[in-house]
Amino acid sequence: MKQRRPLLIGLAAVAIVGAIWMALFLRNPPQQTLDQRVHTIGEQLKCPVCQSESVADSSSALAQQMRGIIRQQLQEGWSDQEVIAYFQARYGEQIVWSPPWQGFSLLAWLVPIGLLLGGAVLIFFILRDWRTLSPEEGERAYKAELAHVDEAELAAYRALLEEELAEEDPIFAQPASGTEES
Amino acid sequence: MHFSDFGFIALILALGFAIYTGCSAVVGARRNSRLVLASAKRGVLVVAFFLVLSSAALIVSFLSHDFGVSYVAQHSSLAMPWYFTTAAFYGGQEGSLLYWALMLGIFSAIFALTAKRTVPVLVPYVIATLMAIQTFLLIVLVTVSNPFARLPVAPPDGVGLNPLLMDPGMLVHPPMLLMGYMSFSIPFAFAVAALITGKLDSEWLRSIRRWTLAAWTIQTTGLILGAWWAYHVLGWGGYWGWDPVENAALLPWLTSTAFLHSTMVQERRGMLKVWNLVLVVASFTLAIFGTFEVRSGIISSVHSFAYSDIGIYFLVFLVIVIVFSTLLFLYRLPKLRPEQEFDSPISREGIFLLNNLLLVGIAFATLWGTIFPLISAALRQQTMTVGPPFYNAVNGPIFLVLLLAMGIGPLLAWRRTSLRTVWHNLGVPALAAAACAAILPLAGVRDIWANIAFAVCTFTAGAIFYELWRGMRVRHRHGEAYPQALIMLIRRYRQRYGGYIVHLGLVMLAVGVIGSHFFQVQQDATLKAGQEMHIAGYSLKFYGNIGETYPGTTSVKSILQVWQGDQYEGFIYPGRVFYQNFGNQPASIIAITTFGLTDVYVFLADWNGASEAMIRVFINPLTPLVWYGGAVMLLGGIVCWWPERRKRSVIKLSEMAGAVAQGERAVATAKQATKPTGRDDEEIVV
Repeated sequence: MKQRRPLLIGLAAVAIVGAIWMALFLRNPPQQTLDQRVHTIGEQLKCPVCQSESVADSSSALAQQMRGIIRQQLQEGWSDQEVIAYFQARYGEQIVWSPPWQGFSLLAWLVPIGLLLGGAVLIFFILRDWRTLSPEEGERAYKAELAHVDEAELAAYRALLEEELAEEDPIFAQPASGTEES
Repeated sequence: MHFSDFGFIALILALGFAIYTGCSAVVGARRNSRLVLASAKRGVLVVAFFLVLSSAALIVSFLSHDFGVSYVAQHSSLAMPWYFTTAAFYGGQEGSLLYWALMLGIFSAIFALTAKRTVPVLVPYVIATLMAIQTFLLIVLVTVSNPFARLPVAPPDGVGLNPLLMDPGMLVHPPMLLMGYMSFSIPFAFAVAALITGKLDSEWLRSIRRWTLAAWTIQTTGLILGAWWAYHVLGWGGYWGWDPVENAALLPWLTSTAFLHSTMVQERRGMLKVWNLVLVVASFTLAIFGTFEVRSGIISSVHSFAYSDIGIYFLVFLVIVIVFSTLLFLYRLPKLRPEQEFDSPISREGIFLLNNLLLVGIAFATLWGTIFPLISAALRQQTMTVGPPFYNAVNGPIFLVLLLAMGIGPLLAWRRTSLRTVWHNLGVPALAAAACAAILPLAGVRDIWANIAFAVCTFTAGAIFYELWRGMRVRHRHGEAYPQALIMLIRRYRQRYGGYIVHLGLVMLAVGVIGSHFFQVQQDATLKAGQEMHIAGYSLKFYGNIGETYPGTTSVKSILQVWQGDQYEGFIYPGRVFYQNFGNQPASIIAITTFGLTDVYVFLADWNGASEAMIRVFINPLTPLVWYGGAVMLLGGIVCWWPERRKRSVIKLSEMAGAVAQGERAVATAKQATKPTGRDDEEIVV
């Protein structure tokens, strides 16, 4: 029973969080205001006359104009994708700041993700390789190692270790030497 | 004879001594000659001395306004205050290279002076590697990028510094970052020395880790200061834009962070030796790559102020470094064997492997995003851009997992941990995270990613505090008051608790990043005198513009009154400064007012006469936490790095080490009895 309790608490916590999130995000997903939508789209576009600044961030006249166009198009009921496609058609592919999920630029996304997954698989195999010893075998090998070491010798090391630790750390030591240390 | 001539002569002498020192170090090691080695050590000091002399000559040229020196004429003017004139030393390419060489010289000298603490076999090869790097820098300085080159006719006044650099940030950020780049050469030199000699013992590990920790701390400071500079100067309301130059500075930081973690596995368990060497070499290579990228101008950036053709020199150097390190690896690889086996993936080793995977994953994704436009241009003849949305989408989730792993890792034991202990240790922080995840949406945080990220931060911070609390409680039971217990814990186990401080700083930084990324509010307004604007509970009332003229500069400032709700908070003066010779690119004076943990960031975009201004206002919640977190990380880095006091029990400890070694030998013989093969090159491993 004692071991079950933390599990139940955990499940209860997950259930509560899940219920709140369900109610808040899934029932009525947060609505963006027009300003926020303009900003979100502007962030996806690179300001053509600036050095690595987005249309949303730049204070250049062109970026201001472009923000105006985005606002107007959104008010006319365009979708986010349509607005971005409009600018892409006018200024070329390099205005879109994240490479599109198609063709050659798909590589930009897939290579890092693929390598990360590949790395994870590699680590999995390395772990499996390194774990040549299963727990029982490990236990046996450990005992075999210890069988060759004299028990009395080990006890001597343990005592030495304890002594050193005590000397290292004032909380184990006598009050006198403790104050001297600090 | 000018001071600049002295500087140039000193450079040439430094080059000569660097070559001599490198060669004599190798010869001394090969012939095992103490005299030659001592000469090499002194050579390092001589090189440093001449570089100090040379740098002093450049600074004197700047301060005496010797515009006959081309570099001085292009980067300073009579109107500049003395501190910017001094800082102009590293304001351009030639000077920043000289600054690099100077820093490398000083670091080498520190190494030579403290060489007694390192394994003696390694010292000559470390010196030789450092001097090889130094020789490269000095050749570039003497031939193509000479800061002391003179003009045939001295102009009456200099051009002056780029306006973006005329900022207090300029006094601290570039020197820190350049120093950080350079400091990765010492761990690299240690790695090369270890590969040549085959000596990768615990003493070596201790030395390389301390130097890497120093480099890491410097680089962290440089990065944070860079972000702060961008925030205060560029005027787009943010501090990190995944700009190529920022990426270049982040890359070695990521790999060295990975190294600092995986060395702990090597220290405790004797595993991952090759991997650690790869990380050290990668850090240095990436630092050089960053320089190449910035200097060559192959990728445009907001941070680079000096383009030239020396990029090709760095490219060649980069290729030499990579080829040389690869050959060394191939030569040494057969002899690098792990000493111990892995026990269980649910252990601290396991989480360190995950940490390394994630850090290297972020580094790779960032590198890939930076060079992808080049690949695209080369293969498709089509230019394209990779910007913040890409990095946020790829690196954001990885960072989040990393943050989570940071909370779990320290609570796992080495070798193996039972699931019960895991739950026992993680229960409290996990409940705290669940509480946070439940409360925040009710409190109005309406973004699901922001919620997840905040919950992860709570978990990790909770885990760290819980760990601190447990340590304090143990000491408290032995009769120490809680504050004293905390101080004693940190003093006793500096690396461990220093690490926790760094982690805590990183969590603070992450909270700041999440806050400013998800909850930034921005508004543009055109105001006439007397009008006000309202944004997120703050009001700004515009009074008018004033112009000011100083020698060399003219400025325009808007006068605005800030109100938080109904409470008057004072005046702010966002503005623009025009520098002589740089009339078309005014620098911005950004008014940042901090209310608790929220920044009100006001940027003057444009103005019309005295009574109209166009301003951009950003409300940046939690952004100050980025700077506080950075300061905490710096503190943690210093705590980790701070040298241990040599204690009187050293002799006893070494006696014990001897005794333990005896015990290990006994175990080793026992192992050989059970496993007779595969242990024949033990002497290299240990």
